[in-house]
Amino acid sequence: MSERVRKLTLLGVLTAVSLIIFVIELQIPNPFPIPGIKPGLANIITVYAVYHFEAWEVASMVAVRLVLGAVFSGNFMALIYSASGAVLCLIGMLALRRLIDERHLWIASVFGAVLHNTGQMAAALLVTGTTQLLLYYPFLIVSGCLSGAFTGLCAQLVTARLKRRKK
Amino acid sequence: MKHKLLIAVIIIIFLAGVIGSVLVLLSPTKSHVRVLSDGKEVYAADLMQAQDTVFDVAYQGHVNTVEIQDHRIRVRAADCPDNTCVHMGWLSSASMPIVCLPHRLVIEFTDDTRSVDAVTR
Repeated sequence: MSERVRKLTLLGVLTAVSLIIFVIELQIPNPFPIPGIKPGLANIITVYAVYHFEAWEVASMVAVRLVLGAVFSGNFMALIYSASGAVLCLIGMLALRRLIDERHLWIASVFGAVLHNTGQMAAALLVTGTTQLLLYYPFLIVSGCLSGAFTGLCAQLVTARLKRRKK
Repeated sequence: MKHKLLIAVIIIIFLAGVIGSVLVLLSPTKSHVRVLSDGKEVYAADLMQAQDTVFDVAYQGHVNTVEIQDHRIRVRAADCPDNTCVHMGWLSSASMPIVCLPHRLVIEFTDDTRSVDAVTR
């Protein structure tokens, strides 16, 4: 029982932390004015959670983050894109976590980010029906690789710190 | 070994992205533009001949203000939450349209001269 409570509390705290990061990131002006490109720092928590929780626990955490994030940013249209990105990203990362050990977390993170961008793009194509959007895709991939590597490295640092604290 | 392979895959994906981006950025501008709202053409013009103008494109109660000035076109203002279309500035690449996703607005260069005639007549 206490183990369950501990896990639930941890998940709640992680969700809150990722929401805070998300809201702070909203305030940072985006230097790349292309729809869909942003650092995605809140995914530091997602990447960390993928390696420390069950699949359904991570999924529900991300779902709560997405919905509350849409509430806080007031951008409900973006929810369609971010949700489909997140679904693809989670499937990919949960599959990859068997292949990639925790010390190479950033690799999984890069794949997750690129998959997220792919899901976003697919959703945007379906919703708007404008094939011109595909021309953004190369930019999304480049930004996905960079931000994925960055958030992955951050998550690795977080993991290392948390391990040290526990000892 | 497994990790090296995956890193190689990442590098390939990254390079493909970079090459694609460069190709998109290098494609030259054209003079004909059109504005699409929810996939339907609402405005078309030859920028070389177009007079400076400002007009609104409405979609489900939301408005994008499009501006043409000195033979360039941009979204001057929008009431969407992120204003990405405004920050994109002037339309500068034939293969990278200005897009406002929340309002389903697209501004792009086009070869189609027929639609321009329809407007100028």
